[in-house]
Amino acid sequence: MKLLLSYDFLVVAIATMILAGSSAIIGCFSVYKGQSLIGDSIGHSAYPGIVLAYMITFSRDPFYLMIGAFIFGIIAYAVIQFISNNSKIDLDASLAIVLTGFFGLGIMLKTYVQGNSIYEGAVQSGLKTYIFGSASYIMKSDIYIISILSIFVLSLCLLFYKELVLNIFDREFAKSIGINNILIDIVLLLMMIVMISVGLKMVGAILISSFLVIPCIFANQFSKNIKNVLFIAFLMAIFSSFMGVYLSVVIKGFSTGPSIVVVMSFLTLLSFIFKKLRGKNV
Amino acid sequence: MRAIHIEDLTVAYEENPVLWDIDLDIYKGNITAIVGPNGAGKSTLLKAILDFVKPLSGRISIFDSSLKKNLDKIAYVPQRSNVNWDFPIKVFDVVLMGRYKEIGWFKKPSKIDKDIAFNALKEMGLEKYIDRQINELSGGQKQRVFIARALCQNAELLIMDEPLAGVDQYSEKIIMNKMKELQKQGKTIVCVHHDLNTLKDYFDRVVLINRYLVAHDTTENILNSNHLTKAYQEVGFDETAA
Repeated sequence: MKLLLSYDFLVVAIATMILAGSSAIIGCFSVYKGQSLIGDSIGHSAYPGIVLAYMITFSRDPFYLMIGAFIFGIIAYAVIQFISNNSKIDLDASLAIVLTGFFGLGIMLKTYVQGNSIYEGAVQSGLKTYIFGSASYIMKSDIYIISILSIFVLSLCLLFYKELVLNIFDREFAKSIGINNILIDIVLLLMMIVMISVGLKMVGAILISSFLVIPCIFANQFSKNIKNVLFIAFLMAIFSSFMGVYLSVVIKGFSTGPSIVVVMSFLTLLSFIFKKLRGKNV
Repeated sequence: MRAIHIEDLTVAYEENPVLWDIDLDIYKGNITAIVGPNGAGKSTLLKAILDFVKPLSGRISIFDSSLKKNLDKIAYVPQRSNVNWDFPIKVFDVVLMGRYKEIGWFKKPSKIDKDIAFNALKEMGLEKYIDRQINELSGGQKQRVFIARALCQNAELLIMDEPLAGVDQYSEKIIMNKMKELQKQGKTIVCVHHDLNTLKDYFDRVVLINRYLVAHDTTENILNSNHLTKAYQEVGFDETAA
């Protein structure tokens, strides 16, 4: 109990819960739009943006690094679109190319920075944490950034709720009543990239997409109504974050991001089993 | 009186012409079928009317004005295959979408919107299914949900892409009876249709296309002419000849 009220625990728990809750909501829309893997590619591809932002600014200020990640997220998406529009390569293959290519570039830049005397003066130890994420670096200022951007993204979601639902469910009908599908595509994509950029520090490039995808898959087992799915995904993400942070504090050596993802995956596995068993009883 | 006026319309996908030099007037207050073999450009014609595809050339007007000015007078029923059926949404909420344009930004559907949606579902005989997930319904029921959604739009012009494809006879009867009723109220209905045997029962006029306009006439005249054989036997517009 004492642990649950300690400052460090609260800061990390609150930050991850806000991040996971809002990512889960955005993620539901991305998953039903068939963009789960695009999220994963963008997550990995944002990493070189982090390193480049550091190389340009000589600073580890999370805000600059986040902007770098955001820009590279957009570039990665543009490259994915360019490949699928101008070649016969399947989407999954072009996603694989972009994901590995960009992530490789990130690692290359990181090792370049480490071996380069120009950057000797600047502290660089934080760069690696953006690969796997590290909640121990979370500070109160991070909570502000996460909260402001989460509120921004969730407000967009609320503002465009009807349009998002129409765009994903029945694109042609949406167009026939005058909805600008391209604008809605861009809004959803930007919301996804913002959540990825914000989450990289805590969860890391490799695992960030699970924050978008897993809560939706879990919630989809329990409801066939989008509003309930959003609500269940939101609760599940918050609960998993709390449990993940708790586990990582109680068990020494467990890192926070991966712990949350493991809790999420475990709950989702249980939900499959639950659904299978319930299906047999009926 | 014409509801849709098409002049000199040519549409191409990546330089392959799909529709060639179409001149066509669709008259108000009629139920018109758009008929032609596979790949004749039937859906493309609807998409051009709705400005989903940009034509190479040509002009289209709706009620003697632009499409933009008439968006709220048009209800479109897309082909069922173009819908994301995995999306978790209830039948009632799908029908409510027909009110979205009226409702506008940031607002929730009112009691009136919900009543309109419920009545539309009732007219399609689906009031028992309002809480079902859309994908749990049969093909015919799904189509009736879409028609109910179109009814909610209270449109003057209904444009439907294959509304009777893969639909059971019971649903077909409900849908077409409703169309006749709408016609009596002065509405105009345009359907892409595939079943030549039912043309006489349901449609006043037939537009026969096979990349170019083969014929446009009353259903009786079309059935008594050799146009149908012509449209279905002749290979359509030859790409190599372009």
